[in-house]
Amino acid sequence: MAKWGMVIDLDKCTGCQACTTACAMENDTLPGESWQDVLFYNEGEYPSAQMKWLPRPCMQCEDPSCVHVCPTRATYKDEDAGGIVFVDWNKCIGCKYCMIACPYGVRFFADEQPLVEPDIRDTYPGENGQMWSPPYQNPEQDWRRGIGIQPKGVVSKCTFCYHKVSKAPEGVADLDEDDPELKEYVPACVRTCAPKARFFGDLDNPESNVNRLIADKKGARLLDHTGNRPQVYYLGAGASIPAFRPRES
Amino acid sequence: MSDNNIMKGGPGTGLLILSAVVLVVSFGYVMFQLMTVGHAAFNVSSKLPWGQPISTYLYFALASSGLGLIASLPLVFGFKQYYGIAKRAIFLAFIILISGMAVLALELGHTFRMLWAIPFNMQIQSAMFWMGVFYAADLLFLLWKFQKMEAGDWDSRNTKIIGIASFLGVLLASGNLALIFGMMSMRPFWYDGSLPIYFYLTAITSGMAALVFFTYLAYGFTRSNMPEKLQIVFTGGLPKLFATVLGLTILFVTVRAITGLYANNPEVYHVWADYLFASPLYILSLVFGLLLPFALMMSAKLRVNPQIQILVAVLTFGGLFAERYYFVVGGQVIPLFQGTWAWDMLQYTPSVTEWALTIMGAAMMFTLYVLGEKYFDLSAAPQLERAPRTAEPRQATA
Repeated sequence: MAKWGMVIDLDKCTGCQACTTACAMENDTLPGESWQDVLFYNEGEYPSAQMKWLPRPCMQCEDPSCVHVCPTRATYKDEDAGGIVFVDWNKCIGCKYCMIACPYGVRFFADEQPLVEPDIRDTYPGENGQMWSPPYQNPEQDWRRGIGIQPKGVVSKCTFCYHKVSKAPEGVADLDEDDPELKEYVPACVRTCAPKARFFGDLDNPESNVNRLIADKKGARLLDHTGNRPQVYYLGAGASIPAFRPRES
Repeated sequence: MSDNNIMKGGPGTGLLILSAVVLVVSFGYVMFQLMTVGHAAFNVSSKLPWGQPISTYLYFALASSGLGLIASLPLVFGFKQYYGIAKRAIFLAFIILISGMAVLALELGHTFRMLWAIPFNMQIQSAMFWMGVFYAADLLFLLWKFQKMEAGDWDSRNTKIIGIASFLGVLLASGNLALIFGMMSMRPFWYDGSLPIYFYLTAITSGMAALVFFTYLAYGFTRSNMPEKLQIVFTGGLPKLFATVLGLTILFVTVRAITGLYANNPEVYHVWADYLFASPLYILSLVFGLLLPFALMMSAKLRVNPQIQILVAVLTFGGLFAERYYFVVGGQVIPLFQGTWAWDMLQYTPSVTEWALTIMGAAMMFTLYVLGEKYFDLSAAPQLERAPRTAEPRQATA
């Protein structure tokens, strides 16, 4: 079985947020429930101030702290599914401990106050247990893997678009959106990336492009000191975010 | 013996009605909000997921643990002069834990799912799994121990074994509760291996406050109404113990604050400098909730004064409630990443529903307390205390 990994080249990323939009469309997420977002931030001060950005999916960590803390095994890492970390919505009790334990802030408890008004959940009230039911939604639903629109009271997160990736041919080294044979299996954020800053492939396959990129272009993991060992690697300058400092009022 | 217990009479009935009404109204309001608005009625968010309901649960759970630890003084460690407080402490520990669990249950996304999903999935890596195990055991042992006391069995071998098991259960439960926070290396404000010690100390302090307050309440805030054994406790070692645990709590908070303020780590430093010490309410809670009670209890004259004891208990109640709140929220106010979504420290103020949940927990505690005072003799202590004590060593040496 493959071990799916993602490589994001920050020197190519333009911060256009097409990935965020594609993810939201693919997975029917609510405003603010950004399974994949682009985090914009500042570093330094005038005259050397910088404006930077970092695309941020779930890191699908090799040793995920969210999995350790979940008291019901609702959050689990499925090695048979490429090492993707899922949330079983039938088991999640909504204790939110995984959100505390995730160092990357990529888990969401969407049963919260709306980010924007009017609340889209009021516009499309939930049916059949869904938190909200928009008229057009991805037909792929798998609550044991946290795919689809979640019920109330559970935690949701990026699934590396498992509903697409899982249909890829066995043994494929990379899922490249430029390959007509494979493009349907590529995660939405990777497929839509206009500057081709994202790559998706098998970290266990020595021939894969993602491995080559990590080796040749000095791939780095975000917050590596946490020991979670992400399966997402960043290339290029600025694969780090400065520590917190209060804003001057 | 308990004739002076006003909870058995009209005032108790009045308090029972009042607290039951508050309980029903607050529970009704919370349920209505959860049914109609859902958890959006809380002011927590995906950036700051644990708010006042969690700190309220923590407050109740630790006050319960503190009471369990105080009760172990006579029941496990043989300080028989404290027998008079043991039964009330065990009862309060039980009802306060139940009240805390009720608050936690309504905070969860799926309350009833928890009942099967935790035991059937056996995720032993999770501290929260162990929280369930240890607090369930704690609850069971408290109930068992209370049942033994109610049956007048204070000194049998079985009672002692249950007492020791309960003591260990309390230590494991509250120590593990600390580690739910203390093992989170990605939350540096909490990440601290010595956190169980801090939890033990503050647990005993809040337990002591509860014990003092509710014992006085039972006797109309008049010490002379209490049975003699209780009066001796309240003028003897108990106030000194109260002063000691208050002092140790202050010491621990001070050490944590100094470490935090000295450290360059912004995720710890800014919590202390720009959140806790920037909050007048936090400073007030330190001054009036810990320092003033400690100062009052350090005075040999004042610490035996009934009014001062009641005042200290009430102040400590408030002080430690704030301490728990700022501990839980303080661990999350620094965003994991500063930028989009959070350009500065995260803001959180409890919503009306979250306050209603806290009030519901308190009302539940008062309701169960009055019922306990009405239907049990919570000041009961073994009648033949002295005889066996002098007889036992002789038998042992014979």
